[in-house]
Amino acid sequence: MNTSTAAIPKLTIKVVFLGESAVGKSSIVLRFVSDDFTESREPTIGAAFLTKRTTRDGNTIKFEIWDTAGQERFAPLAPMYYRNAQAAVVVFDITNEHSFHKAEDWVKELHEKAGNDIVIALVANKMDLLNVQGTILDEAVNEEEVDSFCQREGLLYFKASAKTGENIHEIFQTVGEKIPYSKQSPRRGSDHDLTITDDQRIDLQSTTVEGTKETGGCNC
Amino acid sequence: MGVRSAAKEMHERDHTSDSSSLVTSLMKSWRISSASSSSKKPSLYKMNTTESASLPSGYISSANRDRRTSDGNFEAMTKQQTSTKRTSNSYSPLRYVSPTLSTASNESPRPALLLRQHHHRQHHHHHQQPRHSSSGSVNNSNTNTSTDPNRKNDRYFKDLDEDWSAVIDDYNMPIPILTNGGFGIPVAPKRTLSRSSTSSSVNSTSNMGPSTVRNSSSSFTYPQLPQLQKEQTNEPKKTELEIKNERDAQELNSIIQRISKFDNILKDKIIINQQDLRQISWNGIPKIHRPVVWKLLIGYLPVNTKRQESFLQRKRKEYKDGLKHTFSDQHSRDIPTWHQIEIDIPRTNPHIPLYQFKSVQASLQRILYLWAIRHPASGYVQGINDLVTPFFETFLTEYLPPSQIEDVEIKDPSTYMTDENVANLEADTFWCLTKLLEQITDNYIHGQPGILRQVKNLSQLVKRIDADLYNHFQNEHVEFIQFAFRWMNCLLMREFQMATVIRMWDTYLSETSQEVASSYSISSNDIKTPVTPTEPRVASFVTPTADFQSPTAALSNMTPNNVVEDSNKMRQSSLNEFHVFVCAAFLIKWSDQLMDMDFQETITFLQNPPTKDWTETDIEMLLSEAFIWQSLYKDATSHWL
Repeated sequence: MNTSTAAIPKLTIKVVFLGESAVGKSSIVLRFVSDDFTESREPTIGAAFLTKRTTRDGNTIKFEIWDTAGQERFAPLAPMYYRNAQAAVVVFDITNEHSFHKAEDWVKELHEKAGNDIVIALVANKMDLLNVQGTILDEAVNEEEVDSFCQREGLLYFKASAKTGENIHEIFQTVGEKIPYSKQSPRRGSDHDLTITDDQRIDLQSTTVEGTKETGGCNC
Repeated sequence: MGVRSAAKEMHERDHTSDSSSLVTSLMKSWRISSASSSSKKPSLYKMNTTESASLPSGYISSANRDRRTSDGNFEAMTKQQTSTKRTSNSYSPLRYVSPTLSTASNESPRPALLLRQHHHRQHHHHHQQPRHSSSGSVNNSNTNTSTDPNRKNDRYFKDLDEDWSAVIDDYNMPIPILTNGGFGIPVAPKRTLSRSSTSSSVNSTSNMGPSTVRNSSSSFTYPQLPQLQKEQTNEPKKTELEIKNERDAQELNSIIQRISKFDNILKDKIIINQQDLRQISWNGIPKIHRPVVWKLLIGYLPVNTKRQESFLQRKRKEYKDGLKHTFSDQHSRDIPTWHQIEIDIPRTNPHIPLYQFKSVQASLQRILYLWAIRHPASGYVQGINDLVTPFFETFLTEYLPPSQIEDVEIKDPSTYMTDENVANLEADTFWCLTKLLEQITDNYIHGQPGILRQVKNLSQLVKRIDADLYNHFQNEHVEFIQFAFRWMNCLLMREFQMATVIRMWDTYLSETSQEVASSYSISSNDIKTPVTPTEPRVASFVTPTADFQSPTAALSNMTPNNVVEDSNKMRQSSLNEFHVFVCAAFLIKWSDQLMDMDFQETITFLQNPPTKDWTETDIEMLLSEAFIWQSLYKDATSHWL
């Protein structure tokens, strides 16, 4: 078991990653979890699950990350993953305006369906592309627009680059600090976390129906 | 223990002997009764070493890269074979058991005994499933749904009987005399002595074989037998090297033999027998034959060989015209789709050099984009970019000399392909992808109902097959959709290396039903061929479809007259269904390990299963296991799906 070496975390935070395809969700998670980066990663199908332990105030905290697939067709699966998450990281590609509008949609959906308690962070990824080229690309996102959106929606906002590692740890650190210890999910078992408990359980049946209904073609 | 251990035992056996392909063929032939059912007089085959030794190396390498030996070794081994003057029947290690068994056979000649032993065997099999505590157990449901269980059993055993020998045919059949070009080779005797040895090695009820032999062998002679004994006494000790060489030689023999079997089905035929082709392809297709066979299996290439050329010309032109139209000014580009494909192409098989070449990426972009805009209900969905690559890569080998087939993943196609070649390759890939996706359309339309249904079926199946694992997942709150979604969306392609995937597709494409293909032959011959007789899936092992309540199965109730209209839906059942059983076998393979894992470990493990070193043999074991599950549970699924 993985708990033999690491301390039992005082807090386990479930984070869901959302955002358009190819904005770098998996790359951000990979950078955070194993400090690694690959230029071409296979598109995520369904969702990938990763964990990472860090410390906060001397306490071990653990992130359980669901990195969802970005393509529209997989969107009906997303509620299954964000429904019980304490934090959501919505990612867009700073060089791609469309991906920002998609991020706006995700934020709206989270506000409507994920409950009021969820901590939402907006991440502008691929900042290295802007820095390298030095000029604003045609398709690049208007950063003023992003700022006002974040203020309006009360979001954490990070400019990051999975490639260079810029601001990646800050995302998780800040998000982690927003989650009080009291929000620790109920634990069962003695030596390890069972973070998805009965009341939080992902229900394939209902999610399927609900998810299909929810999106009902309106996302197209 | 139960079934899991049985499957595992099978897996282990695979590593200790060469019986894996035996099991594979055995499992396969359970359902499809041997095509060569007419009993033919056995003849003594001699290996024609000159012929086999002069085969181009591409033939040798075409079956299994891992087992390939160098040409030099091969030649040495063929020489060795010549010197020992063995008939190839003696090549199977299993043969060495035969003499003793043949003596034993004198004591159990009665057919009744045989049947009883078969019964015993079946019971044995079912005893291995103690987890069938629920009322939905296979035993019960079989009895309930079958109107005449005894008769059904008889049929089943009859099939099984034939298949023991069919297995041996496959494995043990001597290298045919190739002087006549390898055509018209008589099929090895239906009931040979060797069957007894197989059954004893495959199954613990080792007495069942001999009686059969006794029953059926009266008109046969076995000239190999004395020679075998003599050889054994003369050479009692073999060095390890000799044994190894012998085994390698044996493998090569079976490879060459397989190639000639495919030649037999494909060459100089006006109408290619789809059923034979499916049956033999299920167990793997030699590389040299794979492109053509895949095109036939998927229903792209007509079985009427006289029509093939003109057909290909027409379809390739159709593809080119489609491209021309799509990329003309009249047609406005579907930007989101184009963009999505564009960003996914460089991320497709990023570890294989072939897919990094610009020309390849451009080809895939065209294929996927054209497919997407022609199928708006589904459109491009991630995962389809994975599914196109086995076709592309396989068809690409047609443009390489046999000796370079192995290099297909590292050579830049633009160095050996003309523009015309590329266009033809793209067209073939496009149409075969289309054919494949027709069978799994539900996986990619909105809401992906096909995938959700398959994931649910998988969970229900595992609940029956491996209740311990299922309950463990429940306790740990592991949901099937959390790991199995990708298995369905990419047909397990992300779980295996490409070479393994391609081998798997030999079987998968054999599982695609052939209404499409037969419709070609109908139009070509202007003969209204009934579809059912050519459908290998209609086997004695299946209960009447009327009892089958699942939506896909209900569709297979359709009469052949409706086939043209409903073939699209009807075709859904076979590949999708089999795939769920493969996924079940895959999951249960790790059952022992998974039982000790918590939620996090389970998901992490299943996201990245340790399959990097899997060989074709491993995948064949998996497919065999899946076939067993399917055979056992197919009838029962109506009660719980």
